[in-house]
Amino acid sequence: MSDSQIDALRADFERDLSTATTVTALRGVRDRYLSRKGGLVSGLLKSLGSAPPDARPRLGKLANDLRQQIETQLDERIAAAEADRPPAGAVDLTLPGRQPALGHRHPLTLLRERIESIFSRLGFLILEGPELEDEYHNFEALNMPPDHPARDMQDTLYLAGPVRSAAGSPATLLRTHTSGMQIRYMEQHKPPVRLIAPGRVYRRDNLDLTHTPMFTQVEGLVVGEGISLADLKGTLFVFLRELFGDQRKLRFRPSFFPYTEPSAEVDISCGACGGTGKSARAPQSGLVAPKLAEASEAGLVAPKFAQGANEGGCNMCKRTGWIEVLGSGMVHPAVFEAVGYDPDRYTGWAFGMGIERTALLKWGVEDIRLFYENDLRFLEQFPL
Amino acid sequence: MRIVYNWLREIVPVPDDVDTVAREISLRGFELAAVEQGQEPVIDFEITANRPDCLSHVGIAREAAAIWGIAIAPGSGTRAQGVPSLSRDGSGTTAQSLEVTIEAPDLCPRYCAQVFQVTVAPSPSWLQQRLEAAGVRPINNIVDVTNYVMLEIGQPMHAFDLERLGQHRIVVRRARAKESMRTLDGIDRTLDPDMLVIADAERAVAVGGVMGGADSEISTATKTIALESAYFEPTSVRRSSKRLGLKTEASARFERGSDFELPPRGIARAAELFTQIGAGAPVSPLIDRYPAPREKRRIQLRSARIARLLGQVVPPEDVPRFLKPLGFEVVAKNGHGEWTVTVPSFRVDVVREEDLIEEVGRHYGFDRLPVRFPPLDAAQPPPDPIIVRDRLIRQTLTAAGFSEAMTFAFIERQAALPFCERGVEPTAIQNPLSEKFAALRPSLLPGLIDSCAHNRRRGRKDIQLFEIGSRFTSRGEGCGVAFVWLGAATLSHWSGASRTADFFDAKGTVELLCRAFGVAAIDVAPSSAPYLVGGRAAEVISDRTLLGVLGQLVPAIGEARGLVAGEEVYVGEVDLEVLARVAAGDDLRAQSLPRYPSIVRDISIVVDETLPAASVRGTIRAVAPSTLVSISEFDRYQGKGVPEGRVSLSLRLTFRDPDRTLTDDEVLGAMDRIVEALRTAHRAEQR
Repeated sequence: MSDSQIDALRADFERDLSTATTVTALRGVRDRYLSRKGGLVSGLLKSLGSAPPDARPRLGKLANDLRQQIETQLDERIAAAEADRPPAGAVDLTLPGRQPALGHRHPLTLLRERIESIFSRLGFLILEGPELEDEYHNFEALNMPPDHPARDMQDTLYLAGPVRSAAGSPATLLRTHTSGMQIRYMEQHKPPVRLIAPGRVYRRDNLDLTHTPMFTQVEGLVVGEGISLADLKGTLFVFLRELFGDQRKLRFRPSFFPYTEPSAEVDISCGACGGTGKSARAPQSGLVAPKLAEASEAGLVAPKFAQGANEGGCNMCKRTGWIEVLGSGMVHPAVFEAVGYDPDRYTGWAFGMGIERTALLKWGVEDIRLFYENDLRFLEQFPL
Repeated sequence: MRIVYNWLREIVPVPDDVDTVAREISLRGFELAAVEQGQEPVIDFEITANRPDCLSHVGIAREAAAIWGIAIAPGSGTRAQGVPSLSRDGSGTTAQSLEVTIEAPDLCPRYCAQVFQVTVAPSPSWLQQRLEAAGVRPINNIVDVTNYVMLEIGQPMHAFDLERLGQHRIVVRRARAKESMRTLDGIDRTLDPDMLVIADAERAVAVGGVMGGADSEISTATKTIALESAYFEPTSVRRSSKRLGLKTEASARFERGSDFELPPRGIARAAELFTQIGAGAPVSPLIDRYPAPREKRRIQLRSARIARLLGQVVPPEDVPRFLKPLGFEVVAKNGHGEWTVTVPSFRVDVVREEDLIEEVGRHYGFDRLPVRFPPLDAAQPPPDPIIVRDRLIRQTLTAAGFSEAMTFAFIERQAALPFCERGVEPTAIQNPLSEKFAALRPSLLPGLIDSCAHNRRRGRKDIQLFEIGSRFTSRGEGCGVAFVWLGAATLSHWSGASRTADFFDAKGTVELLCRAFGVAAIDVAPSSAPYLVGGRAAEVISDRTLLGVLGQLVPAIGEARGLVAGEEVYVGEVDLEVLARVAAGDDLRAQSLPRYPSIVRDISIVVDETLPAASVRGTIRAVAPSTLVSISEFDRYQGKGVPEGRVSLSLRLTFRDPDRTLTDDEVLGAMDRIVEALRTAHRAEQR
């Protein structure tokens, strides 16, 4: 035994200890150094006799200290490793879980139900009705006689022959708006009336980025004594701010519809440019924005939209800072006359908006056709 | 309508720049299509169908006059006098005669004409530039002046080469049977007998209010013209224009309603311009055929009614201030916020008090109206049951892994045919956009199959889609829910392989829907639907009514729409009117939980593989005591130990009595009778 042998053994041990990480490996180290038979430290102690007698007490102490040290260090490391070892039956927590399949509602349904819930809370009845209509309920009762020029604005799809509608009456066309339901409701109910009528409507429009021959509409109708344009403004402001966010500004503009007088269109301040009309920031409305880059890669959304930037002004609002969201107005007295309401006693207002268009604005979807292709990569972007 | 800014400023000196003018006018109901800056700034407004008077610079100028409170400049063809200054003769020239007869005053109540001696040449450049800025191509000085007058004051006009008019006569009449003419665009057109034409002594030379004839067109050789300025009935022009498929600047104005006082002023303004540019001079008196002059409308306007409709009291002194610049005559009545308003002849849209209130509201400013909320004066009725129903369907099917699709209600006839009832044609659309959208869908499945194929083509392998929507059968419009299922039955997971969806996944989906709606019991029977694979096609029946159909889609149908051969597609469709009828009502009575234990016995039997499970259940039910509360199949096995053509079926029977504890002996006895009955009825051997 010599000093150098003791130092070499210490160094060997330090190296072996540092590479042993599991309980098994540490026990192997213990056997290697401390085993009574063949352990390196035991061997060293046995060789004490070969040292010069005067050095024996000192070397013996050094060797025993080393043994003590090794024991202590190994005990600590083994205890720590045992504490770290997963309990029996432990699983890999990082593997993916087993999810039950869960489908998504269609984004148009999400938006429609959102709109329905807002108006429900405001005390509105939600009314469903037939998609096939007759000319009377789709046009005549709404102040659009056969030769009315306004019929040009809505090119209509006609049936080859009369078909029984869901209302049980013979129909000749696919409804161009849900107003026919409101006429039917007023024919059967006295004022006050307070309802919205959502549903699919049809126009003879070719498919393009912003048009589909079938789309979804929500119309609203309020009739009573003393209902005014101010009430229309108030209701639509509550509705649109809840739908698009409090920070949006709203604007009322005169317009023309055959069934309302006065008529108004409603604009909201553009969400893309913050109403400035200047070059747009990234879409801010949130829901789809984080997914837009992904969707753009998948070819679902045009790249320029995903970036949201546009030289020379805001693309979304055509540099005006405003986006038209719906048409509205005070119900035309001729409509009241058609359903047997006294226009001197009752006033009312109505509005109509396209859900697809609203969805385009709200979620920054650039092509309306995506709503009818039912690509699961698109549908699954929306919340459940 | 392209409004040339400088042209507008000649008529009304608006004090603001182009952008401000554009914005202010647009806020009164004229949506901006575009603003073009540059040397000749142009504001393009979209004019709504009710305002044909604003298809002219003067029309927009009136709006500007009301906005800025400034008067319209005299001249510019806006003089109110009906008698033009150059109408009576053309001194120093040979007077020309023109004879005008209106034979159809119902379609043309007023027709003005005058003969001019002209020198046809290109217009001066200022005139050409103005027309071009307004979006009209210059042709020659005569045609250009007629267009200029139309764009300026709104009166469409037409010039005939007088020498080409037989006997120098103009007859305004209906077309004769099979009469035809060649219009200015060079197309020969056959006319209908109810179309209004302008004719000479023999033949039609123009379609009234729509387009002139090629034959009497102005050419460089033309020396004398007959200038037409008329009022045509809107419905007549609209009908002719539609029938001929011919839309012109003139027809667009006439069919919306032009101004019956404007025709003579149109000629006067043209004469003025002819003189100004040296294009010609009148050589006949103005002919004005107006057999039944019309009265202007008078409407009572009440301040109280304005407040009621707008929700805001408009100061009475403001009302005339808004209305007079627009051309209305306003006379106060009794001085109490009531007026008698005379409507100018160009305002075809103003027929009742509400129309005037809109005028007041427009110029008061919709943005200045207060914001209120309509009082709730009656309880809201319960929601439409259809809405409640659709929400429950969506909840159920999304929870089962289906995503909601929306597809068009019109499809290709060919795609619809397999889904129609036998011998029934799909409902056709009279004027479809294309063959792809020619028939109303008899089922929601064709659209879903297309959506499924769309996803499959894009690499998606596992597809579950459903749709709720209208469908159209021989019974008319109805409503259904349908689903398609392709690929995995469960989401794939690292722990094991997933199973491919099969018939029983489809059947389970329909059963789940029935459970969601509390449908008491359903039966299935083989279906012969031509779009389903035989043997894997079922009708679902509840209360002896066909509730729905489900099964495997015929592969050829899917492949024709782009699905992959060899991949089984399962579909189902449920009639929602029937579902609503057989659904449990609102009168649920909760059952107490059983107080006594049940006894469960399993039995395994070997029967012929073609024996329906329902027969086994039926046999058991027939001999079992009323204490048998449920039967469920828990295993079905073929293979080692089971002879060819036979199947081992394992069933779990549960016995319970509501009033006492059953004894083992009772159940044992019942089981013996069941085994015996199965042996007798089905040659069943117990395993």
